[in-house]
Amino acid sequence: MNGLLTKFLLKNPSVLVFLGALALFTAFVSVGSEAFGWGFISTSFVKTLGKTLCFCLIAIAMDLVWGYCGILSLGHFAFFGLGGYMLGMWLMYARTEIIVQTAMSNEVIPPTDQEVIDAIGTQIFGVVGGSDFPMIWAFAHLFWVQLALVVLVPGILALVFGWLAFRSRVTGVYLSILTQAMTLALSLYLFQNDSGLRGNNGLSGLQNLPGLDDVSQDIVSMWFFWASAFALGLSYLLVKLITESKLGNIVRGIRDDEARVRFLGYNVEGYKLFVFVLTAIIAGIAGALYYPQAGIINPAEIAPIASIYLAVWVAIGGRGRIYGAVIGAAFVSLLSTWFTGGQAPDIPLGIYTIKWVDWWLVLLGLSFVIVTLYFPKGIGGLFDRLVRKGDA
Amino acid sequence: MLRVLTLFLGLLLAVPAFAQSSLYDALAEQTAGLKKPSSKTIETVISSLQDSGAPGVADFLTKLQSKEVWYRKSDDKFFFVATDDKKTYRLIDIQSGEVVAEVAKKEIKQIKPNSGVRAKIDGALVAFRLTDADPAVRDAALVGISRDPKAKDLAPLSAALASETDPDLKARMERLSRVLTVSFGDTTEARVAAIASFDGDLGLDARAVLNPLVTTTLKAAPEVGAGENVAKTLRLGNDISEEDAFDLLVASGLAQAEPTKGDIKAALKANIIGDTVGGMNVANLGTDEARLAAHMALAASGAVPAILTSEDKAALLASAAYYEVYAEADPAVTAAAVEALSSISTAVGVSQFIDLVLDGISLASIYFLAAIGLAITFGVMRVINMAHGEFIMMGAYTGYVVQQIIPNYTVSLIVAIPAAFVITFAAGVAMERLVIRHLYHRPLETLLATFGISIALQQIAKNIFGTQARPLTSPGWLDGALVFNDVIAISWIRIAIFVLAVIFFLGLLFVLNRTRLGLETRAVTQNPRMAAAMGINPDRINMLTFGLGSGIAGIAGIAIGLFAKVTSELGSDYIVQSFMTVVVGGVGNIFGTLAGATMIGFLQKGIEWFNPSNTLAAQTYMIIFIIIFIQFRPRGIIALKGRAAGD
Repeated sequence: MNGLLTKFLLKNPSVLVFLGALALFTAFVSVGSEAFGWGFISTSFVKTLGKTLCFCLIAIAMDLVWGYCGILSLGHFAFFGLGGYMLGMWLMYARTEIIVQTAMSNEVIPPTDQEVIDAIGTQIFGVVGGSDFPMIWAFAHLFWVQLALVVLVPGILALVFGWLAFRSRVTGVYLSILTQAMTLALSLYLFQNDSGLRGNNGLSGLQNLPGLDDVSQDIVSMWFFWASAFALGLSYLLVKLITESKLGNIVRGIRDDEARVRFLGYNVEGYKLFVFVLTAIIAGIAGALYYPQAGIINPAEIAPIASIYLAVWVAIGGRGRIYGAVIGAAFVSLLSTWFTGGQAPDIPLGIYTIKWVDWWLVLLGLSFVIVTLYFPKGIGGLFDRLVRKGDA
Repeated sequence: MLRVLTLFLGLLLAVPAFAQSSLYDALAEQTAGLKKPSSKTIETVISSLQDSGAPGVADFLTKLQSKEVWYRKSDDKFFFVATDDKKTYRLIDIQSGEVVAEVAKKEIKQIKPNSGVRAKIDGALVAFRLTDADPAVRDAALVGISRDPKAKDLAPLSAALASETDPDLKARMERLSRVLTVSFGDTTEARVAAIASFDGDLGLDARAVLNPLVTTTLKAAPEVGAGENVAKTLRLGNDISEEDAFDLLVASGLAQAEPTKGDIKAALKANIIGDTVGGMNVANLGTDEARLAAHMALAASGAVPAILTSEDKAALLASAAYYEVYAEADPAVTAAAVEALSSISTAVGVSQFIDLVLDGISLASIYFLAAIGLAITFGVMRVINMAHGEFIMMGAYTGYVVQQIIPNYTVSLIVAIPAAFVITFAAGVAMERLVIRHLYHRPLETLLATFGISIALQQIAKNIFGTQARPLTSPGWLDGALVFNDVIAISWIRIAIFVLAVIFFLGLLFVLNRTRLGLETRAVTQNPRMAAAMGINPDRINMLTFGLGSGIAGIAGIAIGLFAKVTSELGSDYIVQSFMTVVVGGVGNIFGTLAGATMIGFLQKGIEWFNPSNTLAAQTYMIIFIIIFIQFRPRGIIALKGRAAGD
């Protein structure tokens, strides 16, 4: 196995380059962080970078499913959100439990188990006018179960949805619209107060790890940054292994001519389902890593537009080359943070001042049109051109 | 000449003198009864006044009731009296309302009818107003009675009914008298007959008067009381849970309330000695069982009241009868009311179903309007235009801007519709020329590029018009609703939207099937090369078709803006549903879009009907249903077959 991996890495030096670059970047952020280094990178920026890595992670998944398999899914952010919700449930439950127990420990008569659970329920569901735990919170107190659900819930949803969709040969734009409808349905469902996930309040306070209140956010942010970097590196390797294998060739074949691959005797639906479910799982993991860094998750994050932005990142980065997705996600999301954060200088034009907070989306939308029209290979395509010139 | 003049003068004098004498004469006849009114004598006084037919009797009685009528001791004449300083009193003529004299208090005396008399007068006044010459007064009297029906209104109402001439008022009086008979009829037979007359009636008043008759209260008593009109006896454990039964016993004072878990905890807390309570260590009281045991120990020592044992509780529960009793005592009446209400609820159900169908049609026409433009761009040309929603938004904002310029809503609407078409047509053509033309062979990328345009347009609208909603006010003649009965009503805006949808449907059918443009469009979408070989310019056709689809979206925007607030997100709210409509209906033909919109509209209303409070859930379930539906008919309800299908 070890030999095989070495052989693979020797054959694909770009993977090593990427992993090396990621390791360097991680080390740089570590020495720059407030927790473990000189502190020239603020904790909030570490969080931004960590979140960006999660976006890169889901972008890899998107590239695999769209760039390699040709399925333009407009629903992967739903899987991302579900992953976040699953871990968020445990974070919120466990932390509230500690708070409630601390508060109750002062009472003369020790509380019964039911009283503790009722108090937690009131704390969590008070905002939506309830106090009872819905069924879906049955395992919220068990960390390992919720961790498994991070993978299982998006995975099973993708399996059921994908099986239904691929089985009836829904392809192309129809599939895109269908995935978008799925996302819309999910976010509308979560917007209800009686969805059991606190309606549009979502889950909050996720940045505080239960039982680790004395560990400062400086350190927690680095933990999540490392975890995100590790997950990104591992997923990159995994996805590369898939795309460079025979499986990857079949998947690309499906993208280019589905009917022909089917006529060659391959079970096209099976391959598509495999890719769809795998990428949904990666998206779920990315979400579970992202939301503790963001601190809050609500249904608005799952709205169909988020999934379309995901497609935008991958398209700008360049489809069909995994590093392109990473570059696109990092580039666009960081730029977006910069512009919408009010850090970009306004441009006074005499009678009208261009405020980037207002005009950034216009710029993004138009640049998106330009990229689609004139640079269909995205930023990654520029790299290709450079590399080819180097070869010559 | 002189004679004529004298006659004329005589007439002038005689007319008021005659009128005045009428009311005065009527009053003079009853002077004794009026000066000291008693509830026994007042009725004859009132009826004599009523019979006299003198004008102003009602006014006089109203004033009498409110103790504003006085009489002059010297001549027993009646006046209305007003005073500012309680020293000098102004006498006001009962007929003309003019001040005739100012006197000191000792010269006059106030008439003070007691409450019994006032009630009698009140009853008589109803009759006066109901028979007033002015229909507006009669109308007001009817409204007053129906707002607060009283038993005493029934007789005057029945009396007035006979003499009423206005058919509309007569019908209302007749109905109101039936309503009153239900509650206040003298005999059981009359009430039952009145109740039966409301069989299947949809009026809110009928339900409002019948429902209280059949309301029941839950009772627990050792045995069913005599004369109680029992609706249902409840069997313990089957119809009523033991917990509820016990609560009922507590409420009727037949049992002591049990302490709740919170009470037990509080009682324990209050009796802590050192760190034990009831002989148990406080630290061990973390379970309900331990707390109960401690409480029992405390009860044994008499510190707290004991909790009933389960045997005692069972015996207590078994000792009482539980039943629902009607507020109305007469069983015949309640039986008739139950029957009438059941027939009413059937009729209401039918009406609600019709109302639901109308709602479904109206929602379907909204979806149809939102999707019809897409049916052309996506359905016929196969171009997936994510900015379609923004064209709808542009249309709505055009309507808003036109309204700012032209204040007359009707005129501005007439101007706005073509303006919206022109603007979105131009935007569509520009978009087709600049972007979509280059992407005809890459449908997925069309999706992304048009999405880029969509977010740019949305943000531009936000920058121009701000984030708050702008009103697009409908002209006055579209206000209100077409009301069929108390259940079925549909607002005129929705009817207008339905009409607009029908016009669009027929218009597009005509354009696509009967015009040169339609023929060429269909040719280009089926086979662009062949069409080009036949002399059709595919570029031009694509441009015009796309413009047409976009222009229709603009008009749809005005229609949607009339009932929804205009915001920059207006379009994106409809985009997913619009695509669903086209896909479900079947891509490539207008009939499909109609079928899709109808199905989605009815489906959503149908699901909402099961759970009216939750439109979000309805949308969720609808989308799930559509996803499943597409499994079975991937090409939609109306699928194109053969060459027209394209692939």
